Amino acid sequence: MVAWVGQKVLDSLHYVWALWGLVSQALWDLIRPSEQGRREAFRVITRQILFTGVDALPVTSVIALMLGIIIITQAGTQLPQLGAGGLVGSIIVIAVIRELGPLVTAFIVVGRSGTAIATELGNMSVGREVVALQLLGIPVARFIVMPRMVGMVAALICLTLYFDVVAVLGGFLVAKAKLTIPFDAFLDGVTRALSLSDVALTALKPILFGSAVAAVCCHHGLSVRSSYTEVPQQTTRAMINSVTLCLLLDLLITVPTYL
Amino acid sequence: MSRAIELSDVVVELETEEHAAHISLTVDLREFVVLLGPNRSGKSLILELCAGLVTPQQGSVRVLGEEWGELSDHARMKLRTRIGTVLQLPGLLSNMTVFNNVALPLRYHRSTLSDRDLDRVVMGHLQALGLAQLRDRFPAQLNPGEIRCAAIARAMVLDQELLLLDDPLAGLDAGMVQRLGEHLANRRQRGPFTVLATMRSYSPFLELADRVAVVRAGQIEAIGARSVIAQKGGAEMSAYFG
Repeated sequence: MVAWVGQKVLDSLHYVWALWGLVSQALWDLIRPSEQGRREAFRVITRQILFTGVDALPVTSVIALMLGIIIITQAGTQLPQLGAGGLVGSIIVIAVIRELGPLVTAFIVVGRSGTAIATELGNMSVGREVVALQLLGIPVARFIVMPRMVGMVAALICLTLYFDVVAVLGGFLVAKAKLTIPFDAFLDGVTRALSLSDVALTALKPILFGSAVAAVCCHHGLSVRSSYTEVPQQTTRAMINSVTLCLLLDLLITVPTYL
Repeated sequence: MSRAIELSDVVVELETEEHAAHISLTVDLREFVVLLGPNRSGKSLILELCAGLVTPQQGSVRVLGEEWGELSDHARMKLRTRIGTVLQLPGLLSNMTVFNNVALPLRYHRSTLSDRDLDRVVMGHLQALGLAQLRDRFPAQLNPGEIRCAAIARAMVLDQELLLLDDPLAGLDAGMVQRLGEHLANRRQRGPFTVLATMRSYSPFLELADRVAVVRAGQIEAIGARSVIAQKGGAEMSAYFG
């Protein structure tokens, strides 16, 4: 039992180390002053932003709107009954902007783009496309991992912002029929409850989540070796590990903020 | 540097094979050498050693004057731009057209090249190999011979000094084989160009080779001019020499 636990811990450390290797290599490839492959990398980044960000707008809008309606309706109807109507703004900021916005957006991205990345790279590995790139002197980290990571982080920052706006404003507008708080007072409460640290966290979380999701999905996609049946297996692992890692990162950011 | 490839007392033990490979081979600059032998004899392994994909347990692998084992990651990538390699699975990028696949090494390594020059170079290779009309097709829309020819074009587009071809004739029709032979001959006339190819059966393509090496059970049994090796091989090798 002890040996089993020890082995699991070692495996997890190896896994995290491999992910860190991908992230650090991608960062180095991003900042190092080399013109080589820059145009090609930019092309992949643009495609990734389009797929992860722009194409995800409809589904993000729907989910943000529904979540916004639920939370704003709950807060707007229950809190005034308890004499805490003035806390509606704080609840919105804490629930939507600080926590659910970045997290739910990351989950949407994992489900849409993360799985797509893992599947694409898995198929590329089996088809020996990844080896072919190496043989052409094209580093996989620079051509495959870095652009996907940068594209995913950029798209996730924008999507999270979009999610927050749609959830707060759209949710309020739709739930207006049930609420007794006027829009001005609601907006005033939200902006007053919103601090600089909330804005910083809204930017920081997508950066961390995006890097983690891209690293996990690239890692699992590139781990596929010899069979197409490995592709769905690695994709499932990528999805589960991405969600777990996002929650873990959220925990590591949120708990110290309140302690 | 007079040698393009030097494999000295190389030993490779593979989990998937029963026997360890023991290989010594030299290929001179400008030479065209064919590794000939049955399936699973170790021909692809020799190519993968030369391409730096396999690290031997013993011995040294020196290609274009560089020892693979002594190179940093950056130096390995740099050396790979001088070597064109097409494996048994050619690995054309499935999300790119034939043109973009062939243009990729130029776009990555020669980013200062104008679009016009890039188009000229890529189309030159595609025309020579009879693929010009397929330039906008994706790999899934091609047959295996066309995929292989496109991969060979991609492996030559940087004017590589050494070309490693694993079973280059698999899937090619007679016309394609002829065009490939002419394209390689033209390239050899233009400057220093070495070819190491594997084959598993007789083809007229074999006549282009300066030397033929017979590979069996992970070892090079004999190497020399085609006519000499054909006579030495006896009845067992007659099927390989036509």
